[in-house]
Amino acid sequence: MTVRRFHAEIGTALVTGAVGATAAIGATSLGYGWEESGPQPGYFPFYVGLILIAASIWNLVSAVAAHRQASADASAGGEAEEPFLGREHLDRIGRFMGAMVVFVIATLFLGIYVGSTGYIAYSAWRQGKYRPISALAMGAGFAVSLYVIFEVIFRIPLLKGPIEPLLGIY
Amino acid sequence: MTYLKTALLAATAIAAAAPAMAEWAPSRPIEFVVASGAGGGTDNFARTIQATLNREGIIDNSVVVLNKGGGSGAEAFLYAMQNEGNAHKLIFGTNNAYLLPHVAQMAYSMENLDPVAALALDEFLIWVKADAPYQTATEFVEAAKAEPGSVTFGGSQSKDTDETLVSLIEQTTGADFKYVPFNGGGEVGVQLAGGHIDAHVNNPNEALGQWQSGAIRPLCVFSPERMAESEPIHDGKGWQDIPTCQESGIDIASYRMPRTVWMPAGVDEEAKAFYTDALRQVAESDAWQEYLDKTSQTGVFLSGDELTQFITDNETSTVEVFAAEGWTSQ
Amino acid sequence: MGNFDLLMQGFGVAITPMHLLLMVAGVLMGLVVGVLPGLGAPNGVSLLIPLTFSLDPTSAIILLSSMYWGALFGGSTTSILFNIPGEPSSVATTFDGYPMARSGESTRALTLAFMSAGIGALTGVIVITLLAGWASNFALRFGAPEYFAVYFLAFAAFIGMGSAAPMKTLVALTTGLLLSTVGMDTITGSVRLTFGYSELLSGISFLVVVIGLFGIGELLSTVQEGLRFRGVASRIDLRDVLKTIAELPRYWATSARSALIGIWMGITPGGPTAASFMSYGIARSASRKGKAFGTGRPEGIIAPETADHSAGSCAMLPMLALGVPSSATAAVMMGGLMIWGLTPGPMLFATQPDFVWGLIASMYVSNLIGVVLVLATVPMFAALLRIPFAVIGPMIVAICFVGAYTVSNSTFDLWLVLLFGLVGYLFSKLDYPIAPLVLAMVLGHKAENAFHQSMVLSDGSLGIFFANPLVSTIMAVGIALLVVPKVLAFGSRFRRRIPVE
Repeated sequence: MTVRRFHAEIGTALVTGAVGATAAIGATSLGYGWEESGPQPGYFPFYVGLILIAASIWNLVSAVAAHRQASADASAGGEAEEPFLGREHLDRIGRFMGAMVVFVIATLFLGIYVGSTGYIAYSAWRQGKYRPISALAMGAGFAVSLYVIFEVIFRIPLLKGPIEPLLGIY
Repeated sequence: MTYLKTALLAATAIAAAAPAMAEWAPSRPIEFVVASGAGGGTDNFARTIQATLNREGIIDNSVVVLNKGGGSGAEAFLYAMQNEGNAHKLIFGTNNAYLLPHVAQMAYSMENLDPVAALALDEFLIWVKADAPYQTATEFVEAAKAEPGSVTFGGSQSKDTDETLVSLIEQTTGADFKYVPFNGGGEVGVQLAGGHIDAHVNNPNEALGQWQSGAIRPLCVFSPERMAESEPIHDGKGWQDIPTCQESGIDIASYRMPRTVWMPAGVDEEAKAFYTDALRQVAESDAWQEYLDKTSQTGVFLSGDELTQFITDNETSTVEVFAAEGWTSQ
Repeated sequence: MGNFDLLMQGFGVAITPMHLLLMVAGVLMGLVVGVLPGLGAPNGVSLLIPLTFSLDPTSAIILLSSMYWGALFGGSTTSILFNIPGEPSSVATTFDGYPMARSGESTRALTLAFMSAGIGALTGVIVITLLAGWASNFALRFGAPEYFAVYFLAFAAFIGMGSAAPMKTLVALTTGLLLSTVGMDTITGSVRLTFGYSELLSGISFLVVVIGLFGIGELLSTVQEGLRFRGVASRIDLRDVLKTIAELPRYWATSARSALIGIWMGITPGGPTAASFMSYGIARSASRKGKAFGTGRPEGIIAPETADHSAGSCAMLPMLALGVPSSATAAVMMGGLMIWGLTPGPMLFATQPDFVWGLIASMYVSNLIGVVLVLATVPMFAALLRIPFAVIGPMIVAICFVGAYTVSNSTFDLWLVLLFGLVGYLFSKLDYPIAPLVLAMVLGHKAENAFHQSMVLSDGSLGIFFANPLVSTIMAVGIALLVVPKVLAFGSRFRRRIPVE
């Protein structure tokens, strides 16, 4: 599978347009007119939302135009449209994102220390081809330095899970 | 008989209180959740207590301060709701805790908060530019009456303490002001010094610098009696020389903002008693007196029924103003 | 008191053991984030802001600004040694820096870069010193309409002068504006666009968004390009350093011109990145003879580096004096100022002289520290890039998420970082500019407030924005910045088309 720039442009324009629409619709419930004390709370988000929709439509149209032009060039023997993301790229990004999402979910349940230890150890082990022991040491070392910097030096509590209290760390 | 009864009651009270305190003590670091950003009045309040607790050895556990000032402080109270029954979190606020749910739809209600103590009352004053034509509060109100809507009052935020006070002045005197909301007392102060607004109701601490430099001057203070004596601040005048608003013709006996400490609902009574006692020791310390003097606030210590009564009174009278202005959300 | 006395007073504030330590720490941390792709100055500073809550504002700004200088230095290091710009503003340095390093003159390339950076920064600070006193006289003349005019000017400049497609800039800008309206609006006292989520009640923090956009976004780009850093050996030879310093005066014209470009772009909201490109371009067209640019010309390093750093330091002036940041990093720092309870703007010079002059004085000192430290530690930091990506990449990711969490201790922010990481990646791939989004998030709400206040003051008449010479002038400049570049571009396109047809 290859994602072409055209697809990405269209997708982005649709999403930004949707954001504008959401904001404009959300603003209508606040009132977007004027009252005695100036603009109502929804005035600003409503009109900014409209501008965002308009700009998104413009980008959508110019993406389609550029695509037409490129297709025409391609059939005329000219340069074809550049691929946006090849299979290989998608693969790499997907794997990286996947690990990151798992890290976030693990952090929510187990806390930042356990989450980052696992995440770093896993990456070093699977992608970095380190021995499991040294990979785990890297992860744990990282978590310990986080603890020292944040909780000991700056006294900022980080997210903890069910495991830390068992070790006497709150 | 009466004497004996009192003594007995006192004895039982002590007997009940003493083991309660011994029964509960914090077992991990305590979190101070501040319903304002770093550097605000509430933040100073919490950090002063934090420093006093540790320096005077009242609590040995380490205390961490967390600022959750989003949504005019609602963030901190929502956090309390999410941490129901957690005895290691104290929430620091003002009267915003019980007033916010009246003006905006909030996911939390007073059911989710348990009041522990109020330790200070912050005063409100009417300030005008030094070269303003009005010398007294009456002259100022008369000027606003003469040309309705022409005198601009700056204040911090909308539907909050400042605008409530301005509305209260309008309701009591019949004057009509133009209220312009800004983001905080500091911003309002600059606008007055620059002559872009005509007056504001900043707290003493927020206005001190500009009074000292002679850019602005106070007209009156919204407290039942004059403020505590101080060194002369500008032109030979100190805080005690400012007339109360009532003596200068605005019939508002008292309008002050309590600095309050809360706990999440569902915490054991013993834990609450522990913190009440710790805060009482703070309120009696020299460091606390120094903080009150520096910020020109009035010291109080309210807890238990006294505090509940204070909150109910303050809430009722303020909500009356809200209702008259049409701000209430329900 | 004259500027000089104030500056001396500032040195008194800045030169304490504690502050010197903070400068060294800041510069070192800046070098790390500058060297590591994915951690740049804007999100490095964002990550550090929560740690400064326990410091007083002067110490905090010294730490943050030192980190900024460090990041600027660090960014050039990787540009030269690895052909990887650690910072967007050091992209132009790769053009001649990497070829020179490849040909075996890495010490010379690095020394040229650091010395010109130092010279650029120094001229920038001198300009700030001279202009700062003048800024504070303006202090009290700024009311709500004037503030709105200034924000309008900043937005206009970004749309008008930016190099990206105007409609894409507009999308970025309006998205940022909308994000800034989410949550409790203190001015109207109403809750907006939260759609019932109480996590959104306190709004979306720009720090979290910056960490996602710049941190995770850049990292995704690195991953896509294949996770490999290839570099040139980086031993520094002291004799080469001295020899290079001796040849510097020969390029005085390039240095002077680049510094001027940097100062101009730093004070107007062009920013360091635009400054370095512009300076490189002008140096290339001004050169008469010798080796072609792009093959390791000394001027090709001096020009972008000098401009980059003078713009970086000059960007502090509009941030402090007007509350208008002219670069993404300055925008983040300004957000920090507001978090510490300081109001950026002309009053800052009058009410917080210790803070302002302490910062200015520290800029002299910390840039000196920066030049020395960067020369001493380059081999060490360059070695960071030899750590396999499989280890350093996840660590950067973890640091970004930890940093976002510390902003307001909310797990909801972790999801926001993920989301904005994707947005940042897509935006940079599709040439949507990110800086306007950040600018709009920081300034959007303030602009809206100023507009609202003006309308209350004027009873709803737009005439208030042209009511006095000061506000009219600012508005006129803003409109000109918005319109003139477009007209010029249209004109030149028109002229070019005629001969073709």
